[in-house]
Amino acid sequence: MKLLRSAGQRIGNKPAIALVILWSLFPLYWAAKTSLTTLASAEGRPPKYIPAPFTISNYKALFGIQSSGADIAYQFGRSLVNSTVESGGAMILTILIAVTSAYAFARLHMRFKGVIFASVIGTLLLPAYATLIPVYRMMSGWGLVNTYFGVILAYTAGFVPLAMWILYTYFQSIPAEIEEAAAVDGASALRTLIRIVIPLSAPGIASAAIITFMLGWTQFLFPLVLTSDLSSQPVTVIVAALNGQRVVPFTLLMGAAALAAAPPGIFALIMNRRIVQGLTAGGVK
Amino acid sequence: MNLTPTVADDSAAGEVTPSSVSSVRSRRSRRFRLRGSGGPGLRAGALPYLLVMPLVAAVGVFAVYPTALTTVGAFYEVDPLYPRHFVGLQNFRGVFTDPTTRISLINTLVYAAVGVAGATILGLAVAITLRRRFRSRGLILACVVLPWAVPSVVGAVIWGWIFDPNFGVLNGALTSAHILNHYYVWLGLHRFLTVVLIEVVQIWQIAPISALIILAALQSIPAQLYEAALVDGAGPWRTFRRVTIPLIRPALALSCVQALVLSLNIFDQVYVLNYDATSGSSLMLKTYVDTFSDLNFGQGYALSLTATLLTVVFTVTLLGLIYRRVSY
Repeated sequence: MKLLRSAGQRIGNKPAIALVILWSLFPLYWAAKTSLTTLASAEGRPPKYIPAPFTISNYKALFGIQSSGADIAYQFGRSLVNSTVESGGAMILTILIAVTSAYAFARLHMRFKGVIFASVIGTLLLPAYATLIPVYRMMSGWGLVNTYFGVILAYTAGFVPLAMWILYTYFQSIPAEIEEAAAVDGASALRTLIRIVIPLSAPGIASAAIITFMLGWTQFLFPLVLTSDLSSQPVTVIVAALNGQRVVPFTLLMGAAALAAAPPGIFALIMNRRIVQGLTAGGVK
Repeated sequence: MNLTPTVADDSAAGEVTPSSVSSVRSRRSRRFRLRGSGGPGLRAGALPYLLVMPLVAAVGVFAVYPTALTTVGAFYEVDPLYPRHFVGLQNFRGVFTDPTTRISLINTLVYAAVGVAGATILGLAVAITLRRRFRSRGLILACVVLPWAVPSVVGAVIWGWIFDPNFGVLNGALTSAHILNHYYVWLGLHRFLTVVLIEVVQIWQIAPISALIILAALQSIPAQLYEAALVDGAGPWRTFRRVTIPLIRPALALSCVQALVLSLNIFDQVYVLNYDATSGSSLMLKTYVDTFSDLNFGQGYALSLTATLLTVVFTVTLLGLIYRRVSY
């Protein structure tokens, strides 16, 4: 018994940690591994756990370097552009709206401030069910279906309460003395915001911007409804479509999946500390 | 923060208000009024409202107004080609009598139950595993967060390949280990298994948030409480039950609520892994199909309203059950 316990102490929680890593990373490893081998190897029984033989021909096909996948390469490339424009556009619009409003909420005097703030934050609790169909019908009435602008508008409205909340907390953590000094020197509120608050909050604004971009990149239901052709379909919709065709080889499909997951994945790795802080801020108390 | 003392002193010495000089510290937390004037045409008090207007417009037009439309539309027969007309509760009768809708409703309840329990228990296990500081913990936390960042459609496509009946690694690994003697069709054959496996895919993506929330709470428990428990002769299990769990209840509540809302809304994973079959269908998928394939907008609105109310009622109930204010 004593022997067992000391052995247990030496091993500690290493097996548990190994399990956690296996559970988190195995699917991603498996997608990457499949995309880096031939179809014959990927579909072999029993499964091979390393990419042998190793090939990057799937990525060549996805980028149109190989003629075999020219059609898919065109769709996939275009959808990556669409995703970038839509997530990027939503990011810029969201941050513009969120910075100005968060500043007003954090620092300026306003009537009904509490009510407006609570109502805006309250919309975070609305499930997609509540808004999907009317938003589609409004967009279609305005001719904004299948346009970048329509998707960007829908994303912005969905993301801006969260971004505003993140920035509001950040602005409140900045000491007010600096802004008061600016006010004493005769700077207007707007000037104070642009010259002092925004530069001081650059890290907060950057993390809100990256979280917004990630949210945009990972959207599926709204773009599925709001876009129906390649002029605006983002990469998530195209990956689902390639999967649904049932004829695209798994090796190519996993290459597409890996590329579609890469931008938010890389952001998550770089921004890990900030994301952890941002996501856990409310959970402690 | 590069706040040089001279700047702060200047502002304190300047003639703002007499009280500001006396206590700098109290002003730190106080909200103050800045002059809101921009130029000659702008009234002094208008600026805050102008700054907030785009936000209110965006949220009003694309969140509040659509929710109102959904609520009203649920009581109308809506066809894109004809003017809508009032039908009372007829759309809701469709929701509760149509057998495929009932399957979706029951499935959604199973998705939610499995999702809430799975994400929170797994999150708790991961948080306990990573509670102590060690050298590579930051790196491991980054790995834990990674599935959350993957688009859920992409995650579902990857898991679809893992579950594949002919070439999937799940079949391959289980037959190599002689747990299965033949390759098995995991999705679409058995309804309950399909729902649970699709929810596993969602748990893979949402459990990281639960883990982070619970980890933050675990780390804020003072060590003295554990020492006191040890002195009182409490074993590990008793300490966990009587000290840890009560103190992380707010985090557990938050974890459950985020898992609940996400699993009641499950769509992407079901769309990818079980699109054409009703066996795994969820309310959100059913709403999508009714509305955008069958063009029955009224039915879609009624389903949406039912699901929204379900979400609100469940969230409030769950919070009431789990959330307790803690102080230590």
